[in-house]
Amino acid sequence: MSGGELVFWMGKFEARFPTDRRYAKNHMWAAPVEGGGYRFGFSAYAVRLLQDVYFLEWSIDPDTPLREKQEIGAIESSKAESALYAPIAGRLTRFNDDLLADPSTINVDLYGRGWLFEIEGEGGELLSPEAYLLHLEAAWEVAERTLKGQFNE
Amino acid sequence: MARKVTVVISQGQSANPEKRGLEEALVGALLMDHNVEVTVIPHLYDLAPGSTGMLCLEGITGDMIVASWLFPRAAHWTLDRGGIKGHFGQTLLESEDEDEDDEAAEAEDEADDKPRVGGRDLPNRAIYHLHLAAQKGPEPFIAEIKRILSEASVQTVGLMGWIGGSPKPDSLARYLDPGKTNGQARPGPAESPAPTNGSSPDNATTGAIEPIRIDETPARRWYPVIDFSRCTNCMECIDFCLFGVYGVDAAETILVEQPDNCRKGCPACSRVCPENAIIFPQHKTPAIAGSAVESAGGLKIDLSQLFGAPSAIEIAAQERDTELVAAGRDAVGLAVGVPKRQANKPDEPKDELDDLIDQLDDLDL
Repeated sequence: MSGGELVFWMGKFEARFPTDRRYAKNHMWAAPVEGGGYRFGFSAYAVRLLQDVYFLEWSIDPDTPLREKQEIGAIESSKAESALYAPIAGRLTRFNDDLLADPSTINVDLYGRGWLFEIEGEGGELLSPEAYLLHLEAAWEVAERTLKGQFNE
Repeated sequence: MARKVTVVISQGQSANPEKRGLEEALVGALLMDHNVEVTVIPHLYDLAPGSTGMLCLEGITGDMIVASWLFPRAAHWTLDRGGIKGHFGQTLLESEDEDEDDEAAEAEDEADDKPRVGGRDLPNRAIYHLHLAAQKGPEPFIAEIKRILSEASVQTVGLMGWIGGSPKPDSLARYLDPGKTNGQARPGPAESPAPTNGSSPDNATTGAIEPIRIDETPARRWYPVIDFSRCTNCMECIDFCLFGVYGVDAAETILVEQPDNCRKGCPACSRVCPENAIIFPQHKTPAIAGSAVESAGGLKIDLSQLFGAPSAIEIAAQERDTELVAAGRDAVGLAVGVPKRQANKPDEPKDELDDLIDQLDDLDL
């Protein structure tokens, strides 16, 4: 990776965020792709919360227009499940089909082969790595207060 | 002599044959047990104050085992609001999808140092709750009822220590001989289901005892139930609800003052409650319907908020707007009564993590 990385401590877990890309508030990374738009994948923060991914499915077809926060699929892991939502508005051009056969690639190579989909869109609301870390920190203080310091054990 | 325990069977709302089958199987299995009296009531959530069913329950002053189609927390605090109070009896029956993590998670909750409103004016008796949807077939319930009965028959001394206060002589007398006081407390009117408790000791020695059946068909109701073991009296619900459901009592404690002002199907206030203390027993989401923990055992944590779904506050505001418009009023969006905890963070309005935090306890990080 060219630009190094930033680190955010989730308790004693070290979540790393490459600085060669931007981040969406819903905890996805966004790397520009040739011809415009972005490739998205889960940030280390999201993957840490999910842990082992078992199952991934998409509820829309490629080449579909998207509005922000539109529901596009679902994920299930050893610890959690979630619907998935569009990180930005635009047009979804492509899914990572390899993940459908084996979603555990998300755990193995989250910033590379574990990418999720590509969207053509402005992405003006995407955050710089530094801004994303501030986003995490602001939320984390609240999380820690409520968690009674469990993560720091 | 073992004290009698009343088993209350709260029927399902619909006459679903499977549900009726389980209810009647329990009645049948308990008829020959002379340590219990069986009372069959309509769905307890629907019982209105002053209804025959409520009066019947008020007449029961001893330990009670309540089998209902409600999560135990929901059933317990529904009864509490109706003045049917008691200590929450510990049952060992777990839902088939639950695992043992639940108890640990609950202990964790209680270790929190925030002051809770708690149960008030609790008489010296326990109310045990069995969730009829938690198991298939009557056997596990019968086994648990037997276990509770054996516990109840030996706990007279232990219970006193557990409650921790010194009971007044008359409460002690009532406790030790519930049958006697039941007779006195029994509701008077002729149409009331009077022959409930301790109806006749002679019966107890002569074969099957017919259960008490309350034949009411109450209209379905929809209203919030506050779990005071979780409630911190923060008043966010009273600020948020614009339909006048909530009020405060003389001690400035929150209460569901006008339950029937509540908008059918709307669970919005439960989403804004920071302690998940507000239960809508009939809501389809277990966490809102009063399951023991935020993500009921076995169910996975829902990370949807984290991954970009509208926040609980946004959903609550949408639900409230729908009801306001349906009632011919103006939608207010997030402008009115949105929880104060958001106001402290002007740069991070309604962060999606807020909604996740309560669930993180289970993550085992």
